[in-house]
Amino acid sequence: MKKTNHVNIGGMVFTIDEDAYQRLAGYLDAIEAHFRDSGERQEIIGDIESRIAELLRKRMGSSREVVVMEDVVEIIRILGDPEEFGDGSDGKAGTWKEPHSRYYRRMYRDPAHRILGGVCAGMGAYWHIDPVLLRIALLIAFFGFGIGILIYLLLWIVLPPARTTAEKLEMRGEPVTFENIGKFVKEEFGQVKKNMKF
Amino acid sequence: MEKINLDNVQAQMRKGVLEYCILLVLSQRDAYASDLIEILKESRIIVVEGTLYPLLMRQKNAGLLSYRWEESPQGPPRKYYSLTEKGREFLKELDQSWRDLVLTVNTLREKMHSES
Repeated sequence: MKKTNHVNIGGMVFTIDEDAYQRLAGYLDAIEAHFRDSGERQEIIGDIESRIAELLRKRMGSSREVVVMEDVVEIIRILGDPEEFGDGSDGKAGTWKEPHSRYYRRMYRDPAHRILGGVCAGMGAYWHIDPVLLRIALLIAFFGFGIGILIYLLLWIVLPPARTTAEKLEMRGEPVTFENIGKFVKEEFGQVKKNMKF
Repeated sequence: MEKINLDNVQAQMRKGVLEYCILLVLSQRDAYASDLIEILKESRIIVVEGTLYPLLMRQKNAGLLSYRWEESPQGPPRKYYSLTEKGREFLKELDQSWRDLVLTVNTLREKMHSES
């Protein structure tokens, strides 16, 4: 027996095994990370999702109901590793090396672990320190000097929230690679499961 | 020293002409991404499908292509790409470059082969 998920891919609904879902989600995140500098990121991903939906629909035919790991692996083989895509700019197709090395670290707000706006949680993840310490420092700055709240509000406005897996990896200073994204998605799944139990 | 392998050289060659081939296919008829992929795969121009999407986006941004949404017999609407006037002009120039290139390479090959 296996747990399954319902997903909407490019406007079509699929029932998909949980392990296959994680693999596919990791793949889409890797694509998103690859095109993160492109203004048309959403559009390209939309196009690719439509193609994935079409390929899956074809593979499923009328007899099968659940998308399994083999389907996802085959789809990824057909579409290829995002590193092979090229970025569509002049003469650069396929010759990109280490395209994400510039982005290893970036400060974000962390809405997943927030108390207020996730500013301290984000800074904590960035510097690898306990956000509780930062919150205490902030309170001291607030009562001691009265500028803590200003700084906080400013950061709240300035820092973007980490929403995608790629952004969360950057926030923690980990390279955005296919494996890391897979690992992270798994970790988050574990977390969600734990939270649901209590 | 950089290692040269056959697959790599072939991949680079294919990539170089992929843009030309996309325009070529679209000059015959409008197509949505999967039609394009099928034709380009048949002629072994693309190996992994993902390569196509950033290129289509770039050609669209350069004004060579445009697209429209069309209902499909099954599933959600599809994006049909077609060549713009600018795209046709561009293709004409690429046609010429391609003929020149083939001619040059063939002439060179014949010359070298006859000498050896």
